[in-house]
Formats: sequence, C-alpha cells, structure tokens
Amino acid sequence: MIWKTIKVNFHRLGSPPTFYRLAQVLAPWLWAGFAVCAAIGLYQALYVVPPDYQQSDSFRILYIHVPAAWQAMAGYVVMAILAVIALVWRIRTVEIMAMAGAPIGAAFTFICLATGSLWGRPMWGTWWAWDARLTSMLVLLFIYLGIMGLYAAFEDRRKGARVACILILVGIVNIPIIHFSVEWWTTLHQGATIRLFSGESTMHESMMPPLIWMTIAVKLMFGAALLDRSRNDLLDQDRRKGWVQARLGESA
Amino acid sequence: MIPDFEYAFYLWTSYGIFAAVIAWQFVQPRLRKRRIEAEVREERALQTGSYE
Repeated sequence: MIWKTIKVNFHRLGSPPTFYRLAQVLAPWLWAGFAVCAAIGLYQALYVVPPDYQQSDSFRILYIHVPAAWQAMAGYVVMAILAVIALVWRIRTVEIMAMAGAPIGAAFTFICLATGSLWGRPMWGTWWAWDARLTSMLVLLFIYLGIMGLYAAFEDRRKGARVACILILVGIVNIPIIHFSVEWWTTLHQGATIRLFSGESTMHESMMPPLIWMTIAVKLMFGAALLDRSRNDLLDQDRRKGWVQARLGESA
Repeated sequence: MIPDFEYAFYLWTSYGIFAAVIAWQFVQPRLRKRRIEAEVREERALQTGSYE
C-alpha cells in the first residue's frame, strides 16, 4: 500500500505542471534554510572559532573550501542517480534535473579549486601543484563542463540529455578517484581530516560546528538552485504547451 | 565589525569568490525566467496581434 503510494507520487512528479508547482513552493524554503545555516556558519567561522596554532587565520578558508568540495562530489552522485532514473524510466523532468545539476556542481568545483589555491599560496608556497587530489578535482570540473557542452550541442534537448546522462555515468569513476587519491598516491594535499564512518577525526571538536553548518547550508543551496534551474528548463522546453501558456496568462 | 585576520587577503578573497558564485546561482535563474516569460509573451502577442 505504502509502496504503491510512493510509486504513484513518484510518477506524478514526472508531470511538468506538478513538478513546476512543487519546485515553486520548495525552492524559497530551501533558499531560506541556506541563508539561516550560512549566516550561523559564517558567524562562527569568522568570529567564534579561534585561529589555528599552525595555520593561524588561513584555516578559516576551509569552512568554505571543504563544504564546496564535498558538495561538488555529492552533487555529481545525485546527478548520476538522476541519470540512471532518466535513462531507465525516460522521465523528462528527471532528465532536466540531471542536466540542471551540472552548472551548480561546476560552480562548487570552481569554488573548491579557487579557495584551495588561495589557501595553498600562503601554506604550501604555491598556487597550484599537479598532485592527485588537485588534478582529479580539476578533471571533475572538466567533466561538469563537458556535460553542459554536450547537452547544449544537441538541438533535440531530449537526445542531448540522454547522451549527457551516459557521460555522467562514465564520469562517476572520477568520484572514488578524488576521494581515495590522498590514500592511493603520495600527495601534497593532506589526508582525510574528518572521518564520518571509520576512525577518528583529527579536527578538534571546537572547530567542527561552523563546518557542519556550512555543509548543511551548501546542500540546501544545491537543492534550491537545482529546482530553480529545472523549473526554467521546463518552462523553456514547454513554452508552447497549454500549461505554460495558462500559467503565464495567470501571472500577466 | 570586520575582524582583523592574518592572511586577510587570501581569506577575504576566498569568501568573496564564494559569495559571488552563490549570488550568481541565485540571480541567474531569476533573470533567465524573466527572459523566457518575456519571450513567451512576445510570441503570443505576435500571434494574437494584441500587446496588452
């Protein structure tokens, strides 16, 4: 019974007007959640947490660098799940969501690389090093850009989305490479500081709260931006359909 | 009050990049939505001949 209800609601989300309405309601709440979590996180990161005994204040960059890095990878995993659903069930709204994730993921990867570089200059003495973690993260940025380019290259948006979904699934191999790069190779980049499932985190607990708040914030932001972009793509693709005409007629 | 940090240039540049990218992620979809809606209205006006 519950399974059937879930299944019916899942398929109902495939209806563009239903998805559009849901996204319209959800997105502002996610943006509001992001604003609250980010405000708390940034306040703690800049005013509450003491300077690190070795890195001084430069370690505060990690409060945006680490959540951005995690989200760049988590966003890709979300896109891969959406790509599988899109390829198996051929649900157009899911295809659109998978494609809408790419520019947001690229944005987080860019934040990660740029802030990492800005942290690396005073701490490592260089803006960039071709080590495994940095290079695999750069490859992730190129994969995101490749997905966006491939999707845009097709005049038939659905065909473009299906080809790009296959590229997403091929590119997923880079995610474990990024994660384990610091263990598989000798890298300038430090090893895992925060361990969720195995072992103890080497970060002092007094420095953890801003990281947790910022991590939640960027996850909410990813969701909000994903819904915003998906809504726009739906609107663009269905611009001559009745539900869009009726919706714009109402808002005119 | 703006805190006085060591490595301030690197720190504030990082936070600035973060703020700019997030702001763009918020603004860009809204600008695109306005553009699409304007185009749809324009198309409809061309078909109906009514610009009201």
